[in-house]
Amino acid sequence: MTKKKIEIDFAKSFAELEEIAAWFEEGEPDLDEGMKRYERASELAKGLKEKLDEAENRIKEIKNS
Amino acid sequence: MSGRSAKVLAMQILTVSQFVTYVNDTFKAIWDPTLVALEGEVTEFRVSQGQWVNFNVKDGDALVSVFMVFAKLGQPLADGMRVRLYGFPRIYPKYGKFSFSADRVELVGEGALQKALAMLRAKLESEGIFDLSRKRKIPRFPQRIALIASRESAAYGDFIRIVDERWRGLEIDLYHAVVQGEKAPDSVIGCLERAQKNGPYDAMVITRGGGSLEELMAFNDERVVRAVYASKYPVIAAIGHERDITLVEEAADIRGSTPTDAARRLVPDRRDVLYEIATLEGGIEQTLLQKIKNGRDTIDRATTGAERWLESFRLKVASLLRLISSFNPEAIVKRGFAIVSDAQGNILSTIEKLKPGTSVSIRLRDGEAGAMIDGKQGKLI
Repeated sequence: MTKKKIEIDFAKSFAELEEIAAWFEEGEPDLDEGMKRYERASELAKGLKEKLDEAENRIKEIKNS
Repeated sequence: MSGRSAKVLAMQILTVSQFVTYVNDTFKAIWDPTLVALEGEVTEFRVSQGQWVNFNVKDGDALVSVFMVFAKLGQPLADGMRVRLYGFPRIYPKYGKFSFSADRVELVGEGALQKALAMLRAKLESEGIFDLSRKRKIPRFPQRIALIASRESAAYGDFIRIVDERWRGLEIDLYHAVVQGEKAPDSVIGCLERAQKNGPYDAMVITRGGGSLEELMAFNDERVVRAVYASKYPVIAAIGHERDITLVEEAADIRGSTPTDAARRLVPDRRDVLYEIATLEGGIEQTLLQKIKNGRDTIDRATTGAERWLESFRLKVASLLRLISSFNPEAIVKRGFAIVSDAQGNILSTIEKLKPGTSVSIRLRDGEAGAMIDGKQGKLI
């Protein structure tokens, strides 16, 4: 598996995904809005999964200057 | 004679100040504090003006007074503790008092260490440094952390291994520290201070593996504990084994029992989070599908309603038609009644205009017949 740097804010994306899930649980049925949010949720989930599968933990030693 | 007077002439006469300087210089020249230390039991320990420390050290036969600057003490002392002192013997010029001027004190023996530790713990506790109410949480998904550990230690290796097993995409800034011995407190404090400047960090992790109480002493050092307490960023500390609880761990926001436990407390397991993401995503999909289905059902219901309305309308029309058809005169004739009309075809419903001899036409179910009126009689009904 090639690991790479993936620039997404994991915490932020995860929180947005949770928010969308909550909207679907409570929200009034608005199909257009629902489709829009569903697409956004898929995009977020893809990014999060990609980060958890492919990103690497990076260690940088901070020298005493 | 001459030799004697020469000796007399060679005799050096020192002033008191010169004497004290001479003695102190001699001590300095012959006493190497990296090679010699003074060990004894503490008596009459006292601190004056919060700045100066005076006490005696003694053994069975002798006693020496000790002087030191409070800031260099590094740990609490009490009478009866066995200590090892590093510094110089000297005479204090003003009072001519001989004392040992100590730069560093080391506690000797587990007993002294334990006692000092208990005293320091009580002091820091009274200041609220270990208060649970001020413990901070770390974010659930930390992105950038500072790690203070020895890069050569097993603790460092264990910590990184568990983080790698559990999580991805974490940025770790390693601050290499000396974690044991005389230089350890300053080294750890230096790392903490540099990390404060290089932040922000989601968390700071301080860790080292197991060791004797003496080896872990840097993590019971008052200055180190205060530096941890003062950290802007939440601190996870895991020092030694499960059973060792250092003051640094008590002052930290989160305590890990071991370096691997610190890693577990820092990051979640990616497998759990992946499952959670799949669940959220699945839930969203299900709800959306349900909404689409509900939409379709509404349309279906509306259509069925319209059909049902049409059907009832149709039935109503049919019954109206039946009602209307019952008023058709043809239908009346069919039931056995007759329609009488005059020669012009006007339907006659009264006898008023009829006179004897008037011709009328009578219409019955199967045809018409001509007739002539031969008389009339009113008020039949």
